Amino acid sequence: MEELDGEPTVTLIPGVNSKKHQMCFDWGPGEMLVCETSFNKKEKSEMVPSCPFIYIIRKDVDVYSQVLRKLFNESHGIFVGLQRIEEELTGKSRKSQLVRVSKNYRSVIRACMEEMHQVAIAAKDPASGRQFSSQVSILSAMELIWNLCEILFIEVAPAGPLLLHLLDWVRLHVCEVDSLSADVLGSENPSKHESFWNLVTILVLQGRLDEARQMLSKEADTSPASAGMCRIMGELMRTMPILSPGNTQTLTELELKWQHWHEECERYLQDCTFASNPHLESLCKIMLGDEAALLEQKELLSNWYHFLVTRLLYSNPTVKPIDLQYYAQSSLDLFLGGESSPEPLDNILMAAFEFDIHQVIKECSIALSNWWFVAHLTDLLDHCKLLQSHNLYFGSNMREFLLLEYASGLFAHPSLWQLGVDYFDYCPELGRVSLELHIERIPLNTEQKALKVLRICEQRQMTEQVRSICKILAMKAVRNNRLGSALSWSIRAKDAAFATLVSDRFLRDYCERGCFSDLDLIDNLGPAMMLSDRLTFLGKYREFHRVYGEKRFADAASLLLSLMTSQIAPRSFWMTLLTDALPLLEQKQVIFSAEQTYELMQCLEDLTSGKPVHGGSDTQQCQDDDIETTKVEMLRLALARNLARAIVREGSLEGS
Amino acid sequence: TVDTSHEDMIHDAQMDYYGTRLATCSSDRSVKIFDVRNGGQILIADLRGHEGPVWQVAWAHPMYGNILASCSYDRKVIIWREENGTWEKSHEHAGHDSSVNSVCWAPHDYGLILACGSSDGAISLLTYTGEGQWEVKKINNAHTIGCNAVSWAPAVIPGSLIDQPSGQKPNYIKKFASGGCDNLIKLWKEEEDGQWKEEQKLEAHSDWVRDVAWAPSIGLPTSTIASCSQDGRVFIWTCDDASGNTWSPKLLHKFNDVVWHVSWSITANILAVSGGDNKVTLWKESVDGQWVCISDVNKGQGSVSASVTEGQQNEQ
Repeated sequence: MEELDGEPTVTLIPGVNSKKHQMCFDWGPGEMLVCETSFNKKEKSEMVPSCPFIYIIRKDVDVYSQVLRKLFNESHGIFVGLQRIEEELTGKSRKSQLVRVSKNYRSVIRACMEEMHQVAIAAKDPASGRQFSSQVSILSAMELIWNLCEILFIEVAPAGPLLLHLLDWVRLHVCEVDSLSADVLGSENPSKHESFWNLVTILVLQGRLDEARQMLSKEADTSPASAGMCRIMGELMRTMPILSPGNTQTLTELELKWQHWHEECERYLQDCTFASNPHLESLCKIMLGDEAALLEQKELLSNWYHFLVTRLLYSNPTVKPIDLQYYAQSSLDLFLGGESSPEPLDNILMAAFEFDIHQVIKECSIALSNWWFVAHLTDLLDHCKLLQSHNLYFGSNMREFLLLEYASGLFAHPSLWQLGVDYFDYCPELGRVSLELHIERIPLNTEQKALKVLRICEQRQMTEQVRSICKILAMKAVRNNRLGSALSWSIRAKDAAFATLVSDRFLRDYCERGCFSDLDLIDNLGPAMMLSDRLTFLGKYREFHRVYGEKRFADAASLLLSLMTSQIAPRSFWMTLLTDALPLLEQKQVIFSAEQTYELMQCLEDLTSGKPVHGGSDTQQCQDDDIETTKVEMLRLALARNLARAIVREGSLEGS
Repeated sequence: TVDTSHEDMIHDAQMDYYGTRLATCSSDRSVKIFDVRNGGQILIADLRGHEGPVWQVAWAHPMYGNILASCSYDRKVIIWREENGTWEKSHEHAGHDSSVNSVCWAPHDYGLILACGSSDGAISLLTYTGEGQWEVKKINNAHTIGCNAVSWAPAVIPGSLIDQPSGQKPNYIKKFASGGCDNLIKLWKEEEDGQWKEEQKLEAHSDWVRDVAWAPSIGLPTSTIASCSQDGRVFIWTCDDASGNTWSPKLLHKFNDVVWHVSWSITANILAVSGGDNKVTLWKESVDGQWVCISDVNKGQGSVSASVTEGQQNEQ
């Protein structure tokens, strides 16, 4: 097993005395709590004033700035798009599509960089301005690395086009040229400008020979003495053989031509054609790929990879990808010259030149403080089937590992978590379970948010989570006395036990207040009524009231009776039901048949026989008893009367 | 930072399920609850009721409302509940003869159940049966000398859970782990008759076991438990088969000093260990099953470092 390359990083918590006390900690959903404590469980602790602070440690705090959020949002779109088109990616077009995706990512990074730059300039205090500026340079480095990876790993440029891509790469990232050019050209007499020769040199260093030639012609115009030399130089520049895209010549042809041209330059140098003008002479040497001459221009080159590319351009333009690393290593060494040691960025680029993808990813993970970059890059490389081909023990798992880390980080944020959901979706092994664990922890501050979360869970058939979330919301609703809301949540959760509980509350409320709340909900329960017996009863009971209100007494009567006889009515409610029957019994016309009346009487007897006799302890109790007895007596009377009338009516009907 | 203004040593701090509230407890006998949304801190409640240092607090699952349990040297376990915006003592359990060291809520699927481990060697299980009533089951002599930590296993849905008929609860196999002064970790299982039986003994430590933590389930059939002890060792126990019978320990690290506390992150990918040389170290399992330290959280005077760089991972 490979050892970790460095010591784990240490984070210091201020103000905690490490000599005396230990630290205790706990995990929050997205952070860690730490506080000073002593684990020795004695009753009397030393009365030393200890630190009453608790520290909340979060990873990647810098991640949540406004500008970066846009980066996350847009890259999320690209990521999801990539996963979706994966199935359609076939054959030749696959590579170009993947390159396009890569360019998309890069443009997003650049856009973010631009914005961050604006913010940095506009920053009110220097400290935050510096912070933003450092963010800009980090983003710039990310784009630099990504671009190189695109060239080497995704585009897989072969010898020939490889150099052209690398040239583009360097031109994109060493951009002082344009402003310098504007400066010089904008001046009255460009060729007399102090930076004129610098400009020409850097144009040559970047292989922009046409532009260099134009500059030289200006020089030729203003100083006739060097006109001749400028013309020669210009010719050399014009005739340098390069591989243009779409060119049909083979590499061998190009090499030959280039060799020829190279020898011509050499000849001019030997003839001391440019001897009188040191600038032109140095240009010639540069174009011959003379290392010393190149190194003299360290400042203009500004970094070793520029040096590398220029060197290749003028000494080995048909370099093969596998040879890159040797040139890269020597370029780095020469450029640094033993004065300084490579920085992390240098190491990453070097790893890329060595085509060691894993090293690249590893170094990036260490150097960068958040997972965004490595997660997306690795995912893209995985789509290029590069990780597997490297025959690593867990090629595809590394992609998932990084995506999981990235997505978990998103969940700690109040609104970015929605992006995280999609990332988990595309992690086949542990994505689902990670999502399950994380999604329950999202604070459900508003109903909207809760609905959003629920929809996500339902779409993925995460029934456990749906149930638990609905239960939480239902309980909250019950505590705030919003019974209708509670009921609808428990129906959504298909939680029968809870539905029963809420229905009970409804019924109890009815008993106390004589009316229902949330009638709409109960009326429109539909098939959901079947969820629990109690709920069914509630629904049917309400229906009874409705039917009664519509004066369909016969229907109401039979409904009421069925409620009692079918045993779905809770016993505690029977009295109420019977009392509800009273007005029906007292009606002018006979509603309950004899049969039905018998059944009602049976129910009443069942009810009263079960009742214990109260010991008459206090007046309230006595009063209650009295009310009870009166009710029962009234019922008995009404039932008896009804029975009489019913028998009579039925008897007379039968008679005829 | 949250300034708790506790007057004495803080013993435990726990975030609630959503990371919006923080509960802390201290030797000053109080339990405090803070609202820490958006980086702020608002003291919501200062709960007094214990007569001795409070060792641990634990939040119950939000579906039961806002409930917090605390245990203390005064041999009591108090359950606090938020009702209409105010926090009150909801229940007090005084069934132990000695300091109660650890409390842990069971997975919400089992209902509202609290396990408490005490220095009298017993573990009590409080189950909420409704209407403010709690049923108590006690396991006496769970550990000789004393029990220091309890931790529940994550709820595992037995078999295939097709839509159960309304109102019926699926049959979970409830398990938890406890660590004690007999150097043992014991795994307990609830039998069909409702009694708790010792299912397994995990032996590897040579001194008091200070903390056990059962890792959250990540969908794999393996179960993982972390344990730490006075002997300075932290073990990771894994059990591969579903029946949970063979546990194999792996030594995470041997520290130079007592290790007091271990805790898993939500998705069980990082283990935090507190102890030896006053550091909190974070560990992650690498590909080949080795555990690697990815970060140290150290205390010290001086500069503030705002972020923890955990960029290390292991390939190959």
